[in-house]
Amino acid sequence: MSVIELTNIFKRYQSGEETVDALKGVDFHAERGEMVLVTGPSGSGKSTMLNMIGLLDTPTEGTVCLDGLNVTGFDEDELTEERRSSLGFVFQNFHLLPMLTAVENVELPSMWDRSVDRRDRAVELLEVVGLGDRLTHTPAQLSGGQQQRVAIARALINEPDILLADEPTGNLDQETGQTILEEMTRLKQQENIAIVAVTHDKQMEAYADRIVTLVDGVIQS
Amino acid sequence: MAWRNLGRNRVRTGLAALGIIIGVVAIVSLGMAGVALQQQATADLGSLTNEVSVSAGADSDEDGVTEEQVEEIENIITDAQVIPQKINSTEIETRSGSVYVSVTGVTNASALYDVSDGEAPDRLETGALISNSTAQELGLEVGDPVAYEGQLYRIRGLIEADDGFGGSGRGELVIPVSGLRDQQYYDSVTIITGGGDAAEATADQLEERFNVDGRDKEEELQINTFAGAQESINSFLNTLQLALLGIGSISLVVASVAILNVMLMSTIERRGEIGVLRAVGIRRSEVLRMILTEAMFLGVVGGIIGAIVSLAVGLVMFNIITGDALAVLGWASLQYLLYGFVFAVVTSVLSGVYPAWKASNDRPVEALRG
Repeated sequence: MSVIELTNIFKRYQSGEETVDALKGVDFHAERGEMVLVTGPSGSGKSTMLNMIGLLDTPTEGTVCLDGLNVTGFDEDELTEERRSSLGFVFQNFHLLPMLTAVENVELPSMWDRSVDRRDRAVELLEVVGLGDRLTHTPAQLSGGQQQRVAIARALINEPDILLADEPTGNLDQETGQTILEEMTRLKQQENIAIVAVTHDKQMEAYADRIVTLVDGVIQS
Repeated sequence: MAWRNLGRNRVRTGLAALGIIIGVVAIVSLGMAGVALQQQATADLGSLTNEVSVSAGADSDEDGVTEEQVEEIENIITDAQVIPQKINSTEIETRSGSVYVSVTGVTNASALYDVSDGEAPDRLETGALISNSTAQELGLEVGDPVAYEGQLYRIRGLIEADDGFGGSGRGELVIPVSGLRDQQYYDSVTIITGGGDAAEATADQLEERFNVDGRDKEEELQINTFAGAQESINSFLNTLQLALLGIGSISLVVASVAILNVMLMSTIERRGEIGVLRAVGIRRSEVLRMILTEAMFLGVVGGIIGAIVSLAVGLVMFNIITGDALAVLGWASLQYLLYGFVFAVVTSVLSGVYPAWKASNDRPVEALRG
């Protein structure tokens, strides 16, 4: 069973008198252990599709299934729960909280949950991504590549099924980008998760198991 | 988390807290001032609350209290001293200078006056009493003569300075009532009872006898108690205190508007971050709680510092008004510290509600876009 499946997704926006279709009949799936890239020109709807997969947005038409569970009609609180337990996010801008240390940033998604202490797992994840000696550093004390690695560790703290990445190498130089991609490949196998990444970076294509191209809201086959 | 968020912009947090501090100090010190004033007023009037003062009423035919009325009063009030007085004023001249004094003709001098030198007889038939300050001004001593209306009176005692309410600032000369025989009626009758309640009871008795005629109210005699005056004063002070507290509250309301502004600005600035929190699965209620906690901390910090400053102000105020700084620690005034603190925390949390609501309901998609 696919860990994520989009079926016949439409996303329409009302702007004044016009209706804009960001996504038109999109079908998509991703399996555990594979990295799928979503590419396409600007404005093609890549981010919109990523938002659908990430349960950050709901489709106007179509269904979204997470590990067989139909989450299309879920309300905001239910979606939040799914995001918490099944998804991890990595952003182009890292989006780490500046006043927290690396370890605290990784723990963040579980911080409000008093029944659980993920400190050990957070330390472990940071060691796995090679930052075991920088646990108490704040983002200001870390390089771009290091911050992104902290972000990846954070995305994995709740043992998700899918890692979603929005231009993960966008703010990194070639070499650092490569390190990150190698990290992600290793983790995809180790944690048995699916990675769905939206990107313009040609470098990523070498690491991808599958590439999906979106143009004007339609998947190109 | 909330604590660290506040620490990110210390100046802004500090200024918002300062607003709360000022608001708390305003409310608490005004409340305490009211308490201090009330306590001091009670102390000042305390010595006079057992007196009932009777004078001619608005509907009386005479412009004074008559002998018959005095006798009736004496018949009704058997367990207190009844002291009728005739009052005039004059200028006393001696070799050292001249001074205006009020002249009181009385028989029972000891009941009304305390002397620092000499004696105050309870049947004053010869001689006079004069107030200490006047005697000093005129260079007079016990034994010296004083002239009034062609009569000479030998000073028998010096009246101690009045520490109560109602000192007219003018000196007083007390002579036998016979010295004012040209005046037909008594200007006032002072009745000295056992205490505030007895004074009230006596006043009621007299009101019933003299001022109620069947179903009409006709004021034959005007009957005053200081207890009544004290009640009026307390009531006035209470109203004054409420007004002052109202004004003080305005400053706290202003402070809470400042907090609203600070919280709003801070959440708008953090929109992206809050979006990330929501994207990684932090619930709306958890975001709401976080921001409300930030607002609460502002209130708590401001409230505590404000309470400490208010206590210091209270010590100074009580010292100035009542002379007893430590009286501020009594519950009557200490309760304002509690009110001020609670008010600060509550208004701060309330100010945080709108920003917290707005932030927690912000859709992550929109928030991350920015």
